[in-house]
Amino acid sequence: MNEVFSIRQVFEGKWTQGAIPLVLLVALLLIIEIAAPGFLTGETLALLFANTAVLFILATGVTFAILLGGIDLSIQAVASLASVMLAQLLPSLGFAAFPVAILSGLAFGLLSGIVHVKLRVPSFVATLATGGVVTGLALWVSNGRAITIEEAGREKTAWINATIFGLPMVVLISALIGIASFLVLRYTRFGRQAIAVGAGEPAAWAAGINVDRTKIIAFAASGMLAAVAGVVLAARLSSGSPVLANQLLLPAIAAVIVGGTAITGGLGGVARTAVGALIISIVRIGMTFVGVNIFLENMVFGAVLIAAVAITIDRSKIAVIK
Amino acid sequence: MTIQTEPLKSVSDIERTTLMTFLSGRIASMLGGRRWRRLAPLAVLVVLCILITIANPNFIELRNLVRLANSAAVPLTLAMGLTFIILMGSIDLSVEGTLSVAAMVVVLLAANDSNGNDYGWWAVLAAVAAGTIMGLISGLVQTMLRIPSFMATLGMWFIGLGLSVYMLGGSAIRLNDASIRDLALHRFLGLPLAVWVAVGAFVLAAIIQYHTRLGRHILAIGGDEDVTKLSGVNVTRVRIAAFALAGFFFGIAGVLAAAQLGQSHAVIGDGRLFAAVTAVVVGGTALTGGEGGVVNTLIGVLIVTVLANGMILLGISPYIQQTVQGLMIIAAVALSLDRVRLKIVK
Repeated sequence: MNEVFSIRQVFEGKWTQGAIPLVLLVALLLIIEIAAPGFLTGETLALLFANTAVLFILATGVTFAILLGGIDLSIQAVASLASVMLAQLLPSLGFAAFPVAILSGLAFGLLSGIVHVKLRVPSFVATLATGGVVTGLALWVSNGRAITIEEAGREKTAWINATIFGLPMVVLISALIGIASFLVLRYTRFGRQAIAVGAGEPAAWAAGINVDRTKIIAFAASGMLAAVAGVVLAARLSSGSPVLANQLLLPAIAAVIVGGTAITGGLGGVARTAVGALIISIVRIGMTFVGVNIFLENMVFGAVLIAAVAITIDRSKIAVIK
Repeated sequence: MTIQTEPLKSVSDIERTTLMTFLSGRIASMLGGRRWRRLAPLAVLVVLCILITIANPNFIELRNLVRLANSAAVPLTLAMGLTFIILMGSIDLSVEGTLSVAAMVVVLLAANDSNGNDYGWWAVLAAVAAGTIMGLISGLVQTMLRIPSFMATLGMWFIGLGLSVYMLGGSAIRLNDASIRDLALHRFLGLPLAVWVAVGAFVLAAIIQYHTRLGRHILAIGGDEDVTKLSGVNVTRVRIAAFALAGFFFGIAGVLAAAQLGQSHAVIGDGRLFAAVTAVVVGGTALTGGEGGVVNTLIGVLIVTVLANGMILLGISPYIQQTVQGLMIIAAVALSLDRVRLKIVK
């Protein structure tokens, strides 16, 4: 009743309601448009979306894990393995290499989920461990080298680099994945249960939700989408490498959290992740534009991540912050 | 809020034992009670040594043992720092970032092939100080902004990495200072000086853990943070001190790594976090905190190094090492988790 009006509370509230990220995105777009008129044309926007596509697909996957209050630190490893498998298998399997690479991601996502849930290992350690397992396999399969997709294979990946009605195919793929994930989270039983588990695990459990199954599905989805991102990346770069996606772990997690999904779980979604991924992408372009050294990008994203976590986290949910 | 959820949590503690947790619990209890479980890592180490020796007798040659000690130096120093953090029930993912910052500082301030600096051992001091400051910032971020340590240190990891790659200009810079290079090249009693530094780090860590107030407080926080706070310990200060201490050890490890490689580059830290976490966890320090210690970690480091060395001797692809380490983390955590204390796992 006698509550002190606090700017911080309003700020935190707005951020977690998803309003601030959107405003931030629009503001960033306007700043760039003013600094470099002509940015907001169809062509450059299509390029922006195309450059954000891989990041967005990765971030969408990890959104599932974060919504449950967990984290997936193995996405970059799974994406890299998928790129290696695609490059390695295209000559012998042809188009079948795509599903095989993506299914490998699903399998390792499942493994992460099972280790996390059934062996009751905290998710950041479980996924750190499976990430190591996957990286080792990718190094082993590729003999530690980058594998170029040769001419014959490039014919089969050409459709990913094509444009339809002026829109790059990668944008359509990521939009499709985004919409599907959005619908799954909002309208399916799994989606609702995932949000319930993230919001309050004991209550979700008491309400009869199969918490373990929900978590395993979420981690499997995260792994599968990471593999899709790896495949798209490999097709765009015409090569697969065991370290291909290593630089994407931090931006992907930052995209989810900047977008307004709280790491404590239960709050957020794919639409917010789309906003977050665009913000990260624009900040990256902006940094190159202003002349920030490319090597400093990691520093900026690290700081952004810490700030965004500090703002969006729901501290009432954690008894002891460890 | 807490009053309402407490009973629910305890119900879920008891009821939600799955078959697999039950099985691994049984395996753990089959391995014996507390005392036996404590000795299990040592037994694993001994068995591992015996098996590798049978497969390839070159393993126990003096030359190989020296090589083994040499490759254990950096992981041991890193794992000493990480042990204190994990003992608190936290995690420090910034190992690679802090190590690369320290390596960058020592290479850029001592004689090198990129600039005219030649501060000699002041560079080493500066590097260790830089590591400590990185740890201090992690601690401050975690306690002042009140965010979980894995997120705070994930951010610090990339801040450190970005900073060091930026300062190095994205290339490899050679370390030309002979006296610092001697850490890796000069031998005392048959072992490189770097090994003695690592042994020194171990002794220091053991003294801190067993004979200082800070060590006891870290252990107490890991055991039960609320109780520790109620007993009048300044938990925030201890946490910040522990992260700074860890940064101090990472700083020393950075100097050793730069001396061993004779240079610093963007990927000097690659895979180090993983090896350090594996060593701490395999040694028997519980991720939930409050159990284990630096002696456990010494054994854990030896297990990881012996296994890596043995795999090379047996002609197994070194690439598969991370895979084996990952599986070891999973197995060790699954077997060592104290299930009575387990609440919700996130």
